[in-house]
Amino acid sequence: MFYANIILILLSTLIIIVLSSMLMTKMQNIRQLKGEIDKLMQSLENMDEQAKIIVRADMELNRIQEELDKKISGLYALQKLSHNISTTMVEEEIFKNLSHELFRGIGFEKVGIFHWDSLKKEFIIKSSLGYSEEEINLINLYINSNKDRTLSFVVTNKTLSSISTPENFADKKRLRDIFKSEYFILSPILPKQDNRGFIFAGTEDPDTVITSGDEELIKILATQLGQALENARLFEKTWNAQQELEKKVAERTQELTAALEEVKKASKRKTDFVSSVSHELRTPLTSIKGYAAILLTGKLGALPPEAKERLEKINRHSDELGHIVNELLDISRIESGKVAMNLESCDLKSIVDKIDDLLSGQLKDKQINLEVKLKPGEFKALIDQAQISRVFINLVGNAMKFTPAQGKISISAEKKEGMIQVDVSDTGCGIPADYLEAIFEEFFRIENSINQEVKGTGLGLALVKRIIEAHQGKIWVESKAGSGSTFSFTLQQAT
Amino acid sequence: MREPSPNNFIDPSVKKCYIIKPMQVGLGFSSRQDYIKAAKEAANNAMASLDSDKADLALVFTTKEFNHSLVLKEISAALANTSLLGLSSSDLICSQGVLSNGIIIACFSFPEEIYFNTTCVEGITERNALSLGEKLGEELLYGCKGNRRNLSLIFSNCRSTEGQNIFLGLQRKVGKSFPMVGASVETEIYSGSAALNNAACGVLFGGKLTFGMGTKHGWKPLGKPRKVTLSSGNAVIEIDGKPAASLYKEYFDKDAAGIKKDLSRISAYYPIGINISGQKEYLLRSLYSIEENGALVFNGDVPKGSDVRLMISSKEACLESGRQAAELARDSLKGQKIKFVLIFNSSARSALLGREASKEIEAVKDACGWDIPVAGVYTCAEQAPLNSANYLGRPYFYNNSITVLTIAG
Repeated sequence: MFYANIILILLSTLIIIVLSSMLMTKMQNIRQLKGEIDKLMQSLENMDEQAKIIVRADMELNRIQEELDKKISGLYALQKLSHNISTTMVEEEIFKNLSHELFRGIGFEKVGIFHWDSLKKEFIIKSSLGYSEEEINLINLYINSNKDRTLSFVVTNKTLSSISTPENFADKKRLRDIFKSEYFILSPILPKQDNRGFIFAGTEDPDTVITSGDEELIKILATQLGQALENARLFEKTWNAQQELEKKVAERTQELTAALEEVKKASKRKTDFVSSVSHELRTPLTSIKGYAAILLTGKLGALPPEAKERLEKINRHSDELGHIVNELLDISRIESGKVAMNLESCDLKSIVDKIDDLLSGQLKDKQINLEVKLKPGEFKALIDQAQISRVFINLVGNAMKFTPAQGKISISAEKKEGMIQVDVSDTGCGIPADYLEAIFEEFFRIENSINQEVKGTGLGLALVKRIIEAHQGKIWVESKAGSGSTFSFTLQQAT
Repeated sequence: MREPSPNNFIDPSVKKCYIIKPMQVGLGFSSRQDYIKAAKEAANNAMASLDSDKADLALVFTTKEFNHSLVLKEISAALANTSLLGLSSSDLICSQGVLSNGIIIACFSFPEEIYFNTTCVEGITERNALSLGEKLGEELLYGCKGNRRNLSLIFSNCRSTEGQNIFLGLQRKVGKSFPMVGASVETEIYSGSAALNNAACGVLFGGKLTFGMGTKHGWKPLGKPRKVTLSSGNAVIEIDGKPAASLYKEYFDKDAAGIKKDLSRISAYYPIGINISGQKEYLLRSLYSIEENGALVFNGDVPKGSDVRLMISSKEACLESGRQAAELARDSLKGQKIKFVLIFNSSARSALLGREASKEIEAVKDACGWDIPVAGVYTCAEQAPLNSANYLGRPYFYNNSITVLTIAG
């Protein structure tokens, strides 16, 4: 029994020792776990603290990003608005082109643009955003009931805003109330001009933080808007002046057209008259010349020498008169279009050669050298051969008249812009500058010693001019008194 | 469902449950300043691109500054006898990108084996939102017993609490796992030619409508997990036994006034995420307001006992989640050709992405196809299944997410 008790005590002691050992181990484990939990909790707390730092930094980054986005949007909107208002020169269109969406892009959902009407002496609202009709009427009423105050403010060219204007500034609160915008910018347009105004941009959104950058943006927009309005005003002024000028030009053109018509009528009457008179003259002239010729033949009896001499004069003068009448008739026919030009392709060289043959005797008598600088087939023109021959005869004939012995006449040509320019030059006495245009008029003759000696009708060059013009060409002369002359005319090239 | 009448319509004026003709989708938009002209232009464009003489259903999305009644009158006149549903929003989504001013109309002409029913409930704040949600469900289910029900689209414009209750009420009737896509906005919603406030409207499709859904948010948890120890609906009163506001106060090192000042930024960028058992994604709740007693009011319920964490995202993660949502919606169709893409995108994402908001739409188009008509709106809250790969997941009431719905024809 004793031993049994001893064994029991030993066993109990052993169990107690084992259990105590286990308990101590457990307690140690618990202590370890608690330590780890504490560490984990500490890590979690640290992580949370780090999270706080991350969140605050992220918040700040987001704020900066928002501001950056806003600035980029603002610049973009400003560029678009500037572009829109510069695409037109019409004042009303400028205001229409102010896109509301772009204002929203800058961060303003309420906009009002006012323009001073110097005739009505009041502010007119040109564009609005974010206001009902009733609200706009109330704003308009307020602005115009305080127009002197508003005008004087606009003239100062100062920008008012909810950030830069002191809170004790009386108008600040009033503007907030009237425009129903806690945050706003108001900037004058063209403060020094007659067509001045102002732009109001506002928002009720507390998240739209108005910065000095926004103030600058609206200020720039107001300046650009002002510039566009000023350009439109100047354009309108110029446009009106141009319209007035065009109206006057149209009136004058109408008057000149009427005058030209009168001149044409008079010219036609003159042509008809000359034609009619020439016709009437030619019949009796033919009779006079015929009778004079019969008398000169002596078939009607011998004539005393004095009578014969007089009759020869009658005959000669009749020829001259007949020549004049024929040239006058030709001129009037060409002018009235009664002579049709039979245009055909023709080598100018062949025409000039014929003229050379025709006048070679006279040229030889006067010891004048005619130089023809044309090559066969080089210049083919669309011409009426007979009429252009008359042109050459007249021009070379004239040159012969005014070119002294040992002188020279030359005929040359060149191609210019689809036309052929023919030059007939001489080494004659030349033409004074004052008469260069007048020589193509009918019956015009230069007062000089040669003309007094050499007979002429004063119709040759007039006829030449009509013929060239009937060929759709031009004729002109270049000359200096004493240095010869060059008559130039153009003809159409034959294709 | 009642038997079809010879002209293929079932009591269209009253019960709105009809059988319709071959499916086509036509999309039209206009960004004209003159809203009457814009409405006419968008309607005409939608009808012109619809390969059918008549549209059965039109989804109308407008930006908020329009005169909604006049716009709807114009659209109703242009789309005679077409059921209209829609809403207004700060920004719209269309094939061209993000529209901050405009009207988008998507017209549908469905094949005969697809049925739909539209309805709306009003006066949510004055009445019991839960029972109104049930009423909405009952009316949507009207006449569809015995027929295969497919999908429901829900638009609401009420405060988040009521919005979620409407949603829960609706789920009581149509089933918790019934595929549902919804958008909540603070602006008007449209039902027929009426622009409504404090209302919810929807359409329920039945028959052989083939669709896919994808919902993602892209926010990741940050900081240590916390437990909601006291809450009521969408108001979280205590977190870890401390006033709930201390969560945001500690993280942002701001007092209540500072939090309030930055509320819109905090709400958009740093929602809380609720850990849903068995789900990979956290359910997001964005901050709506901070109360005097230190309670935080969220845009959606936060149950007591929820494990919550502060959430954070980046532009890249946000864009990636948009792409993933689109791919989920596309893959759900199992290779069928997408005919239309509908996007409900949180305006918080638009705030986070800033000038790159349109890149998210491009990511969706990258996944679904650049020639597919796209329409959508920016929202305050979204409703869609959390697990959308096979669209059998339970729909939840979300914040900060993008929901992509693809419809094949």
